[in-house]
Amino acid sequence: MTTAKSKATNSKTTPSTPMHSSDSLPSLLRQHAEYQFANELEELAKADTRQRPPNWKLSPWAVATYLLGGTLENGFEVTPKYIGNRRLMEVAIATLATDRALLLYGVPGTAKSWVSEHLAAAISGDSTLLIQGTAGTGEEAIRYGWNYARLLAEGPSMAALVASPMMRALSAGKIARVEELTRIPSDVQDTLITVLSEKTLPIPELNSEVQATKGFNVIATANNRDRGVNELSSALKRRFNTVILPVPDSIEAEVAIVHRRVESLGRALELPAEVPALVEIQRIVTIFRELRNGVTLDGKTKLKSPTGTLSPAEAISVVNSGMALSAHFGDGSLKASDLMAGLVGAVVKDPIQDQVVWKEYLETVVKEREGWADLYRASREML
Amino acid sequence: MSVHVFGIRHHGPGSARSLRQALVALQPDIVLVEGPPDAESVLPLLADSQMRPPVALLVYVPDHPQQAVYYPFAVFSPEWQAIHYGLQQQIPVRFMDLPQTHRFALENADPSVDILADILAGTLASKPASPTYSDPLSLLADAAGYSDSERWWEHLVEQRQDSTELFAAILEAMTVLRTEVEQADGLEPLEACREAYMRKTIREAEKQGFQNIAVVCGAWHTPALVKMPPAKSDHALLKGLPKLKVEATWIPWTHGRLLMNSGYGAGVESPGWYQHLWEVGEQTELISEQDRNECTLTSSVLAAPSLSLRSQTSIRWLAKVAHLLRQQDLDASSASVIEAVRLSETLAALRNRPLPGLPELNEATQTVLCFGDPLPMQLIQDQLIVGERLGNVPEETPMVPLQQDLQRQQKRLRLKPEATEITLDLDLRKPLDLERSHLLHRLALLHLPWGKPQSVGGKGTFREAWRLRWQPEFALRLIEVGIWGNTIESAATAWTCHRADQATLPDLTQLIDQTLLANLPTATTHLLNRLQSEAAIASDITHLMAALPPLVNVIRYGTVRQLETAVVEQMIHRLVARICIGLPVAAAALDEAAAAHMYELMISLHRAIGLLQQPPVSEMWQQVLIKLADQQGLHGLLAGRCCRLLFEAGVFEMTDTARRLGLALSTATDPPQAAAWIEGFLSGSGLLLLHNPALWQLLDDWVMLLPADTFTALLPLLRRTFSTFAASERRQMGEQVRQAGRTENGGQPGELDTDSADAVLPLVAQLLGVVLS
Repeated sequence: MTTAKSKATNSKTTPSTPMHSSDSLPSLLRQHAEYQFANELEELAKADTRQRPPNWKLSPWAVATYLLGGTLENGFEVTPKYIGNRRLMEVAIATLATDRALLLYGVPGTAKSWVSEHLAAAISGDSTLLIQGTAGTGEEAIRYGWNYARLLAEGPSMAALVASPMMRALSAGKIARVEELTRIPSDVQDTLITVLSEKTLPIPELNSEVQATKGFNVIATANNRDRGVNELSSALKRRFNTVILPVPDSIEAEVAIVHRRVESLGRALELPAEVPALVEIQRIVTIFRELRNGVTLDGKTKLKSPTGTLSPAEAISVVNSGMALSAHFGDGSLKASDLMAGLVGAVVKDPIQDQVVWKEYLETVVKEREGWADLYRASREML
Repeated sequence: MSVHVFGIRHHGPGSARSLRQALVALQPDIVLVEGPPDAESVLPLLADSQMRPPVALLVYVPDHPQQAVYYPFAVFSPEWQAIHYGLQQQIPVRFMDLPQTHRFALENADPSVDILADILAGTLASKPASPTYSDPLSLLADAAGYSDSERWWEHLVEQRQDSTELFAAILEAMTVLRTEVEQADGLEPLEACREAYMRKTIREAEKQGFQNIAVVCGAWHTPALVKMPPAKSDHALLKGLPKLKVEATWIPWTHGRLLMNSGYGAGVESPGWYQHLWEVGEQTELISEQDRNECTLTSSVLAAPSLSLRSQTSIRWLAKVAHLLRQQDLDASSASVIEAVRLSETLAALRNRPLPGLPELNEATQTVLCFGDPLPMQLIQDQLIVGERLGNVPEETPMVPLQQDLQRQQKRLRLKPEATEITLDLDLRKPLDLERSHLLHRLALLHLPWGKPQSVGGKGTFREAWRLRWQPEFALRLIEVGIWGNTIESAATAWTCHRADQATLPDLTQLIDQTLLANLPTATTHLLNRLQSEAAIASDITHLMAALPPLVNVIRYGTVRQLETAVVEQMIHRLVARICIGLPVAAAALDEAAAAHMYELMISLHRAIGLLQQPPVSEMWQQVLIKLADQQGLHGLLAGRCCRLLFEAGVFEMTDTARRLGLALSTATDPPQAAAWIEGFLSGSGLLLLHNPALWQLLDDWVMLLPADTFTALLPLLRRTFSTFAASERRQMGEQVRQAGRTENGGQPGELDTDSADAVLPLVAQLLGVVLS
């Protein structure tokens, strides 16, 4: 068997060079992390004198700083991407440095994909080698497909091969990302085993293989709520280091997360409304935390929890939609009535059960709470 | 002549190892250790081959054993290593702290006359302890940017591989720190006295001509011992300290009690981890020594550079973790252990640590071995990080006779004290198990809850289940109860008799139950005598009634536990006689609550008398029950129950019972009284009602007669009665009610309409494929 790490394949399948040149950037709805934070990555690389694992753009220390934020020696401020437990991020980075695959696990909306994107951006400078896991994800999405016209015309050859993001990451020594791993059918999941343990992707049709270059690794994300859908086989599970991302511990952390993201999203979406006051965000976060934990923040009243997860990600989208409403239909400043539409939509996922939960919450908590009368009135109008 | 002061933290494997290396290098001719000089007599036992840490020095006041103090030692305690070194080298080892004989006396001193304050007046300003004083190291840790002083110390001192200059550095740091703190807060009076005594001990050693003096003390004290003030001021401090007679001994200790959160001030967070660090260090030293001496092929393979101390520590730890997980049927492959080691080392590098510490290892374990799940970590915390274990002290350790007796018994009955919980199933028909049960019950009587009795399923009174867990404080409790006797049996007897002399009747009956289980015949006899005299003067009939069931137990268990029962029998007769005479009066005119209490007593008494199976007693009891049943003005609850008991005993005929029920439910009786009567009569089992249509009918009629308002008022009372019935009984009753209703409505099952039935037959036949004949 020849171990042809064919140059031809490489040149054909170099990581999809972004279709946007720098002058066309502003028109994009959402930029990849490595472009959005290109400035920070560049500064970090300049200041980074520590040892880098092979093919890493930054040293593990610098990656940690990129994720968690901090001030460089030259005074450059790096914004935090992940607000939460420092140790978790350190474990994640250390895992990737030991060439073990990383599995980020947690309830929906706990920044799993966000962390995986930024890790890939900081380590490989490329967060686009992405495989989205769905029930329909096939083996070719993880291994390779064929360009059938060429296959018929020229017969099987490297040139007729269509490489998957995984294959490209392997040959380029970059980080591949698998989103929603547990959504992928089990037999397809197990394709990963060879890649993860032998660090190679065999191509039996050509009697060849693509071997991993140093720096290759996989970050997968999976969802707590989907437990049991396509449970990982123990052989595959064993090849991942698992980091569980929790919902934020404290209300301060959650407010900080929502505020930061709303600010940056608002800028990206060019919303004319100004970033809402912290008070408004605090209210939203309070409602989410109370409903999620099933108890009021003062710990005195028990509440029913709705069926949805009510993660910080949803809080962010509620505030965002509120901002859009107030900008386009209101007076530009965020009001309770602007928030309410999004809020009800986020909480009431099941029209019958959650409606009861929400009404109870309104009557027992919102109505009584001082200074929340506007919210209560707005919600009465909604229902 | 030179004095070398080594500042240490009380429990730390790094400190311990550095200290031992330093002592080997120094070759001192005397070792002075911070500890109570009162305990010097038992010090040589430390090197005994049977001594196995964790153990503690116990210093106590023999006349008042509650006043005691423990000095715990683990194998990784630097003091332990220092003493061990001294004893091995056969050089004098001395303790130099302020003797407990003074400290206890100071504690006892009348707080209004503060002797210490008097002594110190003029020399030092006494100020209340400030928070910085309680943990001075936190000042340094703060300055170094650590949140936790223990972590800081661990990184700087405990994990250090190279120990040269370590003690000089500690001294330097402490000197600076002390100057700061003392300027701000002054020195606590007791601390001043302790340090004065330490200096005094050092001076004495110098006077006796020792040339090379090693002083081992808490890091905090080092500056005070290096810079010696004039001897005169120390003498002034120590003059006139009060004294108290104390004794010292070794007792086994547990890792759990070394924990910070067990209330031990100098505690650590992870004794199991420290033990591991120490053991790995020992092994590595051993291997490298062998390597130097023999340089054989095998040893050089074992001591290959890759297996240095640093990697040994984490590899062995994670291997232990994997082993533990496997024991619990959790998957933990060697491949995962390899990955966990790699991850922990990368994490340590990421955090700028020379080698993985416990946090890194824990995170690696959770991420790799537990798949991110925090639950198994709890198991690791309990079993490995704390690593519960119980130490052992040699037989020659001075002990009160009671302790020795307990050890003999433990050995004889093969009951080993353990720090972890174990369950014990006893079959009382076997002599060994019976004796074990006796021992545990005796200890329980002495307030030494080594075993906790568990309820056992299954039949028979010959089974007993216990949960055993030895607590270090039991040693002190043993000394405390040592005044009661020299063996467990005699102490338990004496202590029980002592308690019996002060107990009232209800307490006595409780005690007699326990004493019986503990097989203390002398105490039982004494208790019975006490019971008899108490019962004679007792005017409260309820007390007498409560006393009877335990006495019946005496007879009942007598056969299993081989007891003399004749006396008890006699007493029971007397008691029953008195109860029977007094009960009709005592039961008259009771309110709701008192009647309920009496009702309970009556039931248990009835059961006890039933167990006794002695016709004369039962006869007497029946007579009083009949009397009660006829008694006017008796609370309905009691009257109803009397009737029920007599009916069950066959004294009352069916017709008689029906008559009584009718009377109780007649309109002349107050409805609430009637309801109470029903409760007393029916409570517990509804079978009676189900199988006696006459009673059923009576009750039914009564309910039908009730006016709507009264019925509503009585409903809760009736519900209370009926809710005690088993679900199946209630269902049957419901069915009975429904059937009765249907019969009245004339709902007889109609005759079969054969014509209609015939009409469908051909179709059914066709469906089934058969031919109608």
